Amino acid sequence: MKRIRLGSGLSRLLAPLGLAAALSAAPIAQAADDLVLGGSIPLSGVFAFAGQGIHAGITDYVKIINDQGGIKGRKLRYVPEDTAYKVDASVAAFKKITSQNKVNFYYGDSTGFSKTINAELNRTGDILMTGASFATELNDPAKYPAQFMLGPDYTEMFGILLRYIAKEKPGAKVAFVYSDTEFGRDPIAGSRALAEKLGLKVATEIMTAPGSVDVSTEVIKLRRADPDFTIFHGYVLAPIPEFVGQGKRMGLKTRYMGTFWTMDNSTVMQMGEDAEGFMGVMPYRYYYDTEGDSPMLKKIREMRPQYQSTGYMQGFLAAMLFSEVAKRTLDAGKDLTAANMKAALDGIKDFDTGGLIGVPISIKGNSIPVGRIYRADVKLKQMVPASDWIVLK
Amino acid sequence: MRIATAKQTYLADESLFDTRTQHVWLALLAASLALFPFVADAYWLYLACLVAINVASATGLNILTGYTGLVSLGQAAFMGLGAYTVAVMELRLGTPVLINLLGGGVVAMVGGLLVGIPSLRVKGLYLAIATIAASFIAHFIFANWQFTGGTTGLQVPPARLLGVDLDTSFKIYWLIVPVTVLMVLGAANLFRTRIGRAFIAIRDRDISAEVLGIRLLRYKLLSFGLSSFYAGVAGGLWAYFFRVVTPESFPLIMSIFFLAAIIVGGMGSILGSILGAIFMTMVPELLKLIVGWLPVGGDALRLVSPVRTIVFGLLIVGFLIFEPHGLAEIWRRVRRFFHLWPFRT
Repeated sequence: MKRIRLGSGLSRLLAPLGLAAALSAAPIAQAADDLVLGGSIPLSGVFAFAGQGIHAGITDYVKIINDQGGIKGRKLRYVPEDTAYKVDASVAAFKKITSQNKVNFYYGDSTGFSKTINAELNRTGDILMTGASFATELNDPAKYPAQFMLGPDYTEMFGILLRYIAKEKPGAKVAFVYSDTEFGRDPIAGSRALAEKLGLKVATEIMTAPGSVDVSTEVIKLRRADPDFTIFHGYVLAPIPEFVGQGKRMGLKTRYMGTFWTMDNSTVMQMGEDAEGFMGVMPYRYYYDTEGDSPMLKKIREMRPQYQSTGYMQGFLAAMLFSEVAKRTLDAGKDLTAANMKAALDGIKDFDTGGLIGVPISIKGNSIPVGRIYRADVKLKQMVPASDWIVLK
Repeated sequence: MRIATAKQTYLADESLFDTRTQHVWLALLAASLALFPFVADAYWLYLACLVAINVASATGLNILTGYTGLVSLGQAAFMGLGAYTVAVMELRLGTPVLINLLGGGVVAMVGGLLVGIPSLRVKGLYLAIATIAASFIAHFIFANWQFTGGTTGLQVPPARLLGVDLDTSFKIYWLIVPVTVLMVLGAANLFRTRIGRAFIAIRDRDISAEVLGIRLLRYKLLSFGLSSFYAGVAGGLWAYFFRVVTPESFPLIMSIFFLAAIIVGGMGSILGSILGAIFMTMVPELLKLIVGWLPVGGDALRLVSPVRTIVFGLLIVGFLIFEPHGLAEIWRRVRRFFHLWPFRT
């Protein structure tokens, strides 16, 4: 067996690591008046499909702002780190970015990270954060005063879906199918009560392992309940295609629905023919949507000729709202503290996103409770609007 | 060149660190650990704390797997037991930090004893599968019991020691690192006792050990208990460090992480646990720094991030092929080089 000697293997192993450690301690050149947007972004790992889009969206909006001369003459600088969707790596990225830059805004990649870093945000009081999570728990300004989310929380997403169902078919039977995770269980208890309030009947609730493959027994349970609508939550794709495919072969008449992370156009179209009629709630407009006046979507299509995911829209909106908050806070002559920036954010009423969201938006609590129901059109290979924009009061 | 180590007293023969050189290096290490928080920024302090927690847990697993020869994939579950116990004690009882950590260790130890019961009947992969069951059961309890906060988990207030809230990496470093140092020293001492030597005898050949009068079930369970105690305390430190404990905080992959750490570091070696935990925690971070400097035009971070994962995987494979005895063996070779210099082995 080959032996590693001190003069060869060990020094070769340790030299780059030592060099890395030494150089990482070197201070990074930073213009004093830069506005810094840090980001724990999942560019690799299981959530990379979303992270790549989020990263591109933030990068593009930062470029747009800086090409216009920045915010009150101050450049916006985006400092991302890959986290592979791991909480400890996200916290490491946060510590690294905040110890090397004076960070004003931060994008976090998960509910776990948002909860973990909240104490630090509250302690330091100088960073406003948003991220990929729509967890209902985060929609609490008292507990999470330095955070907000880029759309409705998961319970509000269910609320939009249930209101649509109640309007389409009063007294309908609905089924909730969700994963056995914090993500999956999040909106279930709250939505059960809302369904009852809206005169809907929750015919069954089915919990599965996340990403499970064999769901035949669950499909039989679904057939027995015979719901008019089946809402999936806590998945990206699997096991939705299995449910839909097996359900169709068994002759189920139920209409299937999903929430944000299922609703990317490319994700739904992976179901093939079974995607036909699949519906769901989406807070943003799709890349290819040319309806009405949407200068920002037009700009995105000019910058990137290929389809951009819903993750891209989310990243883009994050940078847009951060920029608006910075502008409003600086215009008011206030320091960029988390409290001042959150106050500026709360002051955003009927804000025009340039068509990214189809109606003017306002922040309520820590969320933007607005969404629209889209339906899959397999012939067009596109999600098309099935309702008007629904704004929760 | 060192020729021999003359031991003139029984006390000298029994000492854990027996040469002056070792004493000097240990004093330097202690001084470095004490000075580190004053020179490091928040990022490096965070990593130091994370490494220390992982060292504590890896050391526990090495007692069980490396020294006793019992494979376990339940280390993360035991850490979870410790973390939840600390969180519940902190939130509901408000007991002092050190009592909570001890409580976390004891509850995890009880869990370890229960999971260890099949170890008399099954070994190797069979035992590994039995310990995986611990992960599933623990996850189910954490996610469904009201007491543990269900899927939302529990938010833990900062550890409070001598009237000071340990709410920054700088402050909590002074809890995590000393506790880890104590645990590592405890493990090192363990293998100079009758119990530790019984573990090693069981690992080397359990039937022979039984013939020698070592009661297998007692010592196997003791090994499980001790290993889980370490995991529980490490989990408790984890809870105080991250301050949020959820059922998804301790996945099965975390157990694999610790198994990989002791294999890469060196099975049956305390130093191996330390080096393995450092390797598994730090190398992905250091690879991030290295890829940041690569002359990849445009959006380097997006392009190189997946490559980093591959390089980390290849490094692990490389170690298994070129140095199956782990990093600890490389270190021993380094020491031998200096001991024998100017001669070569």
